[in-house]
Amino acid sequence: MAKTYDAGVKEYRETYWMPDYTPKETDILACFKVTPQDGVPREEVAAAVAAESSTGTWTTVWTDLLTDLDYYKGRAYAIEDVPGDDTCFYAFIAYPIDLFEEGSVVNVMTSLVGNVFGFKALRALRLEDIRFPIAYVMTCNGPPQGIQMERDILNKYGRPLLGCTIKPKLGLSAKNYGRACYEGLRGGLDFTKDDENVNSQPFMRWRARFDFVMEAIHKAEAETGERKGHYLNVTAPTSDEMMKRAEYAKEIGAPIIMHDYITGGWSANTQLAQWCQDNGMLLHIHRAMHAVLDRNPHHGIHFRVLTKILRLSGGDHLHSGTVVGKLEGDRDATLGWIDIMRDSYIKEDRSRGIFFDQDWGAMPGVLPVASGGIHVWHMPALVNIFGDDSVLQFGGGTLGHPWGNAAGAAANRVAVEACVEARNMGRELEKEGKEILTSAAKNSPELAAAMETWKEIKFEFDTVDKLDVSHK
Amino acid sequence: MSKPDRYVGVDKDINGGMTSIGKIIRDAWVFGLVPETETCEGWNLAGIDALLQKVNAEWDKYGCMVSQLPEPLAQRHREIHDRAIRKARATGWSGEHETGDEES
Repeated sequence: MAKTYDAGVKEYRETYWMPDYTPKETDILACFKVTPQDGVPREEVAAAVAAESSTGTWTTVWTDLLTDLDYYKGRAYAIEDVPGDDTCFYAFIAYPIDLFEEGSVVNVMTSLVGNVFGFKALRALRLEDIRFPIAYVMTCNGPPQGIQMERDILNKYGRPLLGCTIKPKLGLSAKNYGRACYEGLRGGLDFTKDDENVNSQPFMRWRARFDFVMEAIHKAEAETGERKGHYLNVTAPTSDEMMKRAEYAKEIGAPIIMHDYITGGWSANTQLAQWCQDNGMLLHIHRAMHAVLDRNPHHGIHFRVLTKILRLSGGDHLHSGTVVGKLEGDRDATLGWIDIMRDSYIKEDRSRGIFFDQDWGAMPGVLPVASGGIHVWHMPALVNIFGDDSVLQFGGGTLGHPWGNAAGAAANRVAVEACVEARNMGRELEKEGKEILTSAAKNSPELAAAMETWKEIKFEFDTVDKLDVSHK
Repeated sequence: MSKPDRYVGVDKDINGGMTSIGKIIRDAWVFGLVPETETCEGWNLAGIDALLQKVNAEWDKYGCMVSQLPEPLAQRHREIHDRAIRKARATGWSGEHETGDEES
């Protein structure tokens, strides 16, 4: 007898709430923080999120009978309280891997954070974490070079790398911009950097900037005997234009280029990362616009998810926040996503906001970039917190040196080397930081002046997005 | 309000003269490119830019490093810049001005 179908509205939980389901190793798992509308049962809302981020619609439609719904549907399999916040709850959802195109973070995110975020049954929704199964990780290209290859390319080992964003970010001529890069690199930085919104404006078109910056790199390399780089921002209005700029950067010998991966788009980023891997280029990633997505503790996408998306899409550096300094983030949460960037296996650890084990297999790691509001006095803490595999990026903390850019760069280089040496000798950096820097400054007037310039600064801002355990 | 096309002079500049142009002028004093009485008041952008190129050429002789300046120049650098820092501090400048607008 032919199967019959009754028209009508079904509750989501009849189909998508499966508390007895045991997630498969191949499932993509997601944890959402759900703030429901008043009066809607948790199970129904969790099931609705599972449905609307996978296969569901408001009503059962006849086409459901033509697809293998039971195979492809997302399954809400667990609900948990949010510590300290009874307005919302965590919903855990498992998605079958075959729901998604291989190697496409675009496709995964279009499902998981697509229409569901506008869903009327929700007051707010935040994607807290995703577990990508190793089977899916293996389909993604990942970072173009990875941490070890970057060190080999640059021939720099055993310390954090140093960078600096060139300011003023808007309005410098290409020639004067290149000069500022040279001074920073000559003073001791490993990298200088385009600002995220320096693309190809009328006051400084990209090709002129690339040419003058490469001249600066060659000059600094010749005088210091070190490899140097500048993050040439190839972010462009179209991916064709982006690739044209990347090709030119390679042609003139640049070792590293840069992309704004959120505003530029994940499709473009994945394309660029794959090209970088094929062409031996390093790729620095800026996260401009991230706060639009990740700052609200009840709505959006947590940065640890954006971190995983970037590692899969591809990038060798990613701005991570500083833990210390003016833009201080929650220390435990920041350390959590730094591990997500660098390590090959990260265990679930709620104390750092990590909801799932994450196995990256042999996928290379991403260097976290600490940037924003930091200066030499933060160096001991930064070296202690971030370790060697990081980029410490002092913008105003370099260019704001009263003696100029090269002096600021030299101060930071002496400071980082002093801290690394002290750490290697077994000294406690954060406890003995002042003595370590003061001793190093005896042989570096540039560092002494920097310590004099910044010693009075105190940062007392509170973080907006704290781990849930510390809310309320 | 239209932007002035002439420099106000290092003695009248913001942050007590702790600006990019202020640093160029002080280095020009250090290297003797202009006398210390020259504040560059009334100079146009081209004039400042030309001075910057001369200052850069002088710094290139010493790898841009203060610690590589010969002692007489180093002494002169210390005096001029220490004086400038004191003056800037007196007007309220501090390192925080340099990191205050940064984003991650």
